[in-house]
Amino acid sequence: MKHFKHLTKPYIVWSFILIVIPLLLIALYAFTTGGNAVKILEFTLKNFIKFLEPTYISVFFKSVKLGLLTTGICLLMGYPLAYFISRFKDKTQDLLILGVTIPMWINLLLRTYAWLNLLADNGIINNLLAMLGISPISMMYTDFSVTLGMVCNFLPLMIIPIHTSLRKMDNSLIEAAYDLGANRIQAFRRIILKLSMPGVLNGIVMVFLMSISTFVIPKLLGGGQYLLIGNLIESQFISVGDWNFGSAISLLLAVIILISMRLMKKIDPQED
Amino acid sequence: MKKRFIILMAVVMSMLLTACAGGNSSGESQTGTGRTGGATLKIYNAGEYIDMNLISQFEEEYNCKIIYDTFESNEVMYTKISSGENYDIMIPSDYMIERLIKEDLLMPIDWSLITNKDNLLPEVMDLEFDPGNTYSVPYFWGTVGILYDTTVVDEADLADGWNLLMNEKYAGDLYMYDSERDSFMVALKALGYSMNTDNKDEIQEAFDWLVKQKSVMSPIYAGDDIIDNMISGNKSIAVVYSGDAAYIMSENENLEYFTPEEGTNVWYDAMVITNTCQNIDLAHKFMDFMLREDVALANTKAVGYTSPVASAFEKMKNTTFAGISAYVPDTSNPNNEIFRYQEQEIKELFADLWTKVKAQ
Amino acid sequence: MKKKKHIFSGLYIALCFIFFYLPIIITMIFSFNSSKSLTHFTGFSLKWYQELINNQEIVSAVYVSVTIAILATVISTVLGTVTAIGLSKSRKFLKEYLLNVNNIPILNPEIVTAIGLMILFSSIGIAKGYMTMLLAHICFCTPYVITSVYPKVRSLDPNLANAAMDLGATPVQALTKVILPLIRPGIFAGALLAFTMSFDDFVISYFVTGNGVKNISIIVYNMTKRTNPTINALSTIVIVVIILILLAVNIVPILKKSKERKFEG
Repeated sequence: MKHFKHLTKPYIVWSFILIVIPLLLIALYAFTTGGNAVKILEFTLKNFIKFLEPTYISVFFKSVKLGLLTTGICLLMGYPLAYFISRFKDKTQDLLILGVTIPMWINLLLRTYAWLNLLADNGIINNLLAMLGISPISMMYTDFSVTLGMVCNFLPLMIIPIHTSLRKMDNSLIEAAYDLGANRIQAFRRIILKLSMPGVLNGIVMVFLMSISTFVIPKLLGGGQYLLIGNLIESQFISVGDWNFGSAISLLLAVIILISMRLMKKIDPQED
Repeated sequence: MKKRFIILMAVVMSMLLTACAGGNSSGESQTGTGRTGGATLKIYNAGEYIDMNLISQFEEEYNCKIIYDTFESNEVMYTKISSGENYDIMIPSDYMIERLIKEDLLMPIDWSLITNKDNLLPEVMDLEFDPGNTYSVPYFWGTVGILYDTTVVDEADLADGWNLLMNEKYAGDLYMYDSERDSFMVALKALGYSMNTDNKDEIQEAFDWLVKQKSVMSPIYAGDDIIDNMISGNKSIAVVYSGDAAYIMSENENLEYFTPEEGTNVWYDAMVITNTCQNIDLAHKFMDFMLREDVALANTKAVGYTSPVASAFEKMKNTTFAGISAYVPDTSNPNNEIFRYQEQEIKELFADLWTKVKAQ
Repeated sequence: MKKKKHIFSGLYIALCFIFFYLPIIITMIFSFNSSKSLTHFTGFSLKWYQELINNQEIVSAVYVSVTIAILATVISTVLGTVTAIGLSKSRKFLKEYLLNVNNIPILNPEIVTAIGLMILFSSIGIAKGYMTMLLAHICFCTPYVITSVYPKVRSLDPNLANAAMDLGATPVQALTKVILPLIRPGIFAGALLAFTMSFDDFVISYFVTGNGVKNISIIVYNMTKRTNPTINALSTIVIVVIILILLAVNIVPILKKSKERKFEG
């Protein structure tokens, strides 16, 4: 029995090298200058100060705004869907949830590319509009296309935890509420909504955190001028070559997210 | 439960086997029917910049394997090799070649091994960025200009030159290149400055011009996606390289190409060999191969860019790209310039400012 | 009243599903289009599938995606399960440390994990390529396995292994014949999750690869610049295979149960 605790040894080494050290390296680059080859080790806050410039702060706020918008839409669309699914028979629910999950399994790039097809200026939607006599709308490279891509991608992440919460709920509670004279709206607000809160919070956190740090969807559907935090980090590492600044932004992003997660855990101490 | 697992494994295994049957066992081979004939050549080129059949052809003729990677811009290429990635042959632009030479990253070319060197046009040789072509072998050349839809754009507006791109009439209807040097070139030339300036005031003015353009015109910053989009006529104006213009114009008759009077960038892309090249002999063979008349012809025909090989240039000028002005670079305008090397400080300034333009 | 409710909810669900599946269905339909057009279906043709098979680059990429997903799944499942079991018997301090470290790849934005690994590989001087991609995948898959298996291990009776060994089993036998079968659902869920995360991955693969090694995501990302119906063909194949796997995994046990019920009835 005691032998078993040694089983963790490989992962201790592994996780240290591949999880802890990379983070330390990011921190190292963030606090130094001197480029890719860390030959010059002068500690400085220059990179963080650079991020405080108005242009970059606006990138941050743009990402947060988009994240909130995506999360909001996912919540508005996702909650009803999760609720309606939970009203069906168990077997049907399984099938419906499977239907919701399948797109998540399909490679992100392939799914986003599929949207490219649909939204292109010479794509199907515009073609249909043309047939109806409406002039084509330029949908690509806009806030609309990016938000659409994000919502479509993250909606399952909102639906599944909410549905799990709703499913676990004891139906007799609702029966009891009706017996005690509550109407449908009251029953919904006081019981169903309250009990599904853990799932809702879970969904909100997941969708929000993923949407503020995404970079593929904005790049493909938004074009070069769509610069969110993820794109900013990517450009620093891939084309600009300022690894120090890029690391500083990454570190900030990671810290902000970790703090948000901690706060979320405080509001809802339930462990998933 | 066990049955479920077995089924899952079976399906996954069959997927693996199918992929195996079609693919290569090494998993690292990139293109063509290339065989494992010993030698490997790693090539780093711009995207959409070669006829991919030529890669397979070379692999077959010389019994080798080519690993072919592409970059979106010279800056991306430079950052990648700075991060430790090694290639044998790269195909950057003039100013980037100047930088690579200055930083001692290239190996001199042994011209005695380039048997096809007499095929080259004299005007692409011995230029300021690499005197005597010590380090580079010409690949393609051309200009940067404006591609426009003749059915939408007013002839009279063309007199504005680069400021056509600031004409509110066409707001929301244009593409700019997502490349710091090219975009700043447009702004600097529109303001009458040199594209190689290191005067910080001029650069700041150019920055302001670009920021204004972004708010007034809402341009889309694109890369190679310009090509299919302009062919489909999705927008009316685009800043493009002459080669892309030639290709696009051969597919869409409504489009025309012009280079403004204020002057534009004349560029030369060339093949270079890196210091880390493993197989110098094979590298020279590849460069020689690209200068072969039939190969150069196939390449320029497929991609649309102007060939540095005389016979291919003449043939394309008179047949496939006849009447397409973009194919014949107009180097006569004295205001035209070649990009030159930028000091690190200026390079970083440009990169920073360009990020800020996009972030507006 | 009830019928009205069902119609409304059914309609809403249908609309949502259309929203999810429309791009996928269009992609699949147009993969059979005989022309390059995205708008007009000019005729039925398998030519894009033909081009797909002939395109060595794409086929290699599929090979890379699949093999890395399988290898990463197997290795991370083993590593994760073993660690989860060991965790349950560890001291509190170690448990806290490992669980927190384990959460980092899950909570961190993908791009931060990717950057960290890229810097690590550059600093150590490992040539980026297949191996680095595999290591990176194992790195981010294992935490998911651990979070799937660990709760199951915790729910076991802590004395089970002891009891087995009292009855004469070796530690290895106690592990394989007693503990593993009981946590099998967790292992299976973890493995499935690991496979999805690996197969779907783009960001991390993009930053840690080199030497021309590309997976499906990277190839598609490079190809999005030009209109490429071959990608539609690739998408269709991937979609069909995934749907088949998921259906097999989920429907077969349902069929089995109804068969058993038939026997009993």
